Amino acid sequence: MGDVIVAERLSKSYGARRGLDGLDVAVHGGEVFGYLGPNGAGKTTTIRLLLDLIRPTSGRATVLGIEPRAGGPALRRRIGYLPGDFAVDGGQSGAELLVHLGHLRGGVPRSRIDALAERLDLDLATRISKLSKGNRQKLGVIQAFMHEPELLVLDEPTIGLDPLVQQQFLELVSEARSAGQTVFMSSHILGEVQRGADRVGIIRDGRLVAVEGVEALRRRAVQRVEIWFDEPVAAESFAALPGLLDLAVDGRVLRCRLAGRADDLVKAAARHGVERIVADEPDLEELFFAYYRGEAADDAA
Amino acid sequence: MLRSVFGKTIWDARRGLVGWAIGIAAIGVVYAAFYPLIQGPEYAQALAAWPDELKQAIGFTDATTAAGYLGASTYGLLGPALVIIYAGLLGGRAIAGEEESGRLDLLLAQPVGRRRVLIERLAALCVAMAVSSAVLFAAMVAVRGPAELDDVSPANLAAASVHLAVFGMFFGAVALGVGAATGRRSIALGVLAIVAVGGYIVNALAPLVEGLDWARQLSPFYYYSAARPLVSGLAPGDLAVLVVVAVVLAAAGAVAFERRDVAV
Repeated sequence: MGDVIVAERLSKSYGARRGLDGLDVAVHGGEVFGYLGPNGAGKTTTIRLLLDLIRPTSGRATVLGIEPRAGGPALRRRIGYLPGDFAVDGGQSGAELLVHLGHLRGGVPRSRIDALAERLDLDLATRISKLSKGNRQKLGVIQAFMHEPELLVLDEPTIGLDPLVQQQFLELVSEARSAGQTVFMSSHILGEVQRGADRVGIIRDGRLVAVEGVEALRRRAVQRVEIWFDEPVAAESFAALPGLLDLAVDGRVLRCRLAGRADDLVKAAARHGVERIVADEPDLEELFFAYYRGEAADDAA
Repeated sequence: MLRSVFGKTIWDARRGLVGWAIGIAAIGVVYAAFYPLIQGPEYAQALAAWPDELKQAIGFTDATTAAGYLGASTYGLLGPALVIIYAGLLGGRAIAGEEESGRLDLLLAQPVGRRRVLIERLAALCVAMAVSSAVLFAAMVAVRGPAELDDVSPANLAAASVHLAVFGMFFGAVALGVGAATGRRSIALGVLAIVAVGGYIVNALAPLVEGLDWARQLSPFYYYSAARPLVSGLAPGDLAVLVVVAVVLAAAGAVAFERRDVAV
C-alpha cells in the first residue's frame, strides 16, 4: 500500500499568524500515525486542510492519492473524521444523528451502529443535549468508525473519555489497523499516541520536528523521577549513570529527569533501601528539549 | 427525513415551524376578529380625517374594505414582519449560525458538496415559508365568514398567501446567501434588516415624492404588495422578480462559500 496522506511544503497562514509553515509528512497505508504536538502547533489546521474545510496558502496535500478539493464528496466518503470539537445539534438523539450521517455516506447498517454503541456503552435514544461530554465524544468516535472508511482522521479522539473507554477506543483503532484501515490521530499527550500508534510525527510551530517509531520515541522521552530512600544517599553514586539529567539529591530524596530506559537507575537505586518511586508521564515539552538536544549533539558529532 | 440534508433540516426545524405557523395564523385571526368592530361610520369618519399621504404611506387607503383592511394589517404589516424574522432566523442559521457554533465542520466533512448543502438548506427554508403561509391561508379561510371578510375570495386569500410565502423565501435567501458568503450570522441579519427596513421605507415614501415613484421598484415590498393580490389575485411577474433576485443572491453566496475557508 502506498502513502495515504502526503503533505509537501504545506503551509497555511491566517493573516499574520502562521498555522502551518511548510509541513512535509507522509503517512503510510495501513499504519496508525500519531500526530503529536502542543496546543496551537497546527494539528487541527493540518487535519482541516486534509478534509478540504480550509485551503492551503501554499504547498499541497494529497489524501488517498487525490488533492482534497479535487477529491470532493467521493473522497470524503472514504474518510472517517472526528473533529477536535465534536459539536452537533443537541436537540436530536444519538440515533437520529448517526442514521442521518450514515445515509449521507451511502448507508450504514443499523446493526453496525448499534453494535458500536453497545460496545462503548452508549444509549442512542437519549437527546444529545442530555449526554455528558464523554458520552458525546463516544458518539463522535462511533460516527467516525461506523462506515469502515479506508482512512480515519481523528483530532484529539480521546479527549473527555475516561480511561476504560480510552482503552476500548484503542481497541477500535487496533482493529481498524488489522482490517487494513489507516489511522491518523492527533494528540497533545505523549502517552496516548505511544499506546495507539506505530509511528509518531511531532509537530511544533507549524513544522514537523521529527517522525519516529514509537519505540525510538520512548527511548527519547524524558520523565521526571523522584526516589525516596530509607537512608540519605550520596549523589556521586548516581552521577555517572547514562540518561540522567539535572540530578539532585537532598538527604534521602533523589530527583532527576530520566531519558530513555530506567534500567540503570533502578539497579543503582536497588543498592539502597527504596521507600517509594514516583515517575510522571513523559512531558511533551521535555520531549522537545530532548529533540533539540539530540539535534545539537548530532551537529557536534 | 434523515436521508438527506434537506429532510434533516426540516426535521430539526419541525418544532419551530409549528410554533411560527401557529403564531402567524393567530395574528391573522386576531386582526380578522377586529374587522366587524370597525364597520361603523365613526371609524370611516375618523379615517377620513387622516392626511392622504399618511394613509398612503402606511397602506390604509381603503382600510374599511375587507381587502384593504387585510392588506394593511395581516398581509401588510405584522404578517410580513413575522415572516421576515422567521426567514432571517432560518437563513442566518443555515450556514453561518451552524459555522459559528462549530457544527458545520462535521457536515462538510461528509460526502456532500458545499453547494448541495446550501441548496438543500435553502429548499428546506422555502418549505418552512410555504407551510407557514399555507397555515395562515387555512386560518383566514376559516374565519372569513364569521369575521365578515366575505368580500375577499378564498382564491385571492390564497394569492396573497403565496405572495407572502415567496416574500419570505426572498428574505431567507438574503440571510442564507450573505451568511454563506461571510460565515457571520450577525452580518447576514444586519443585511437582512437593512433590506427589510430600507425596502419598507422606500416602498412607502417613494410614491409621495415627485419624480421618485420609480424607486419603489427597488423594494421587495413593491413586488410583494403593489399588485394587490387580495384584490387582483396572483401577480406572477412580480413574484418572478423576487424569485430571480433570490436565486442570484443564493448562487453568489454559494460561489463564495465554495471558495472560502470554513471557520472553526
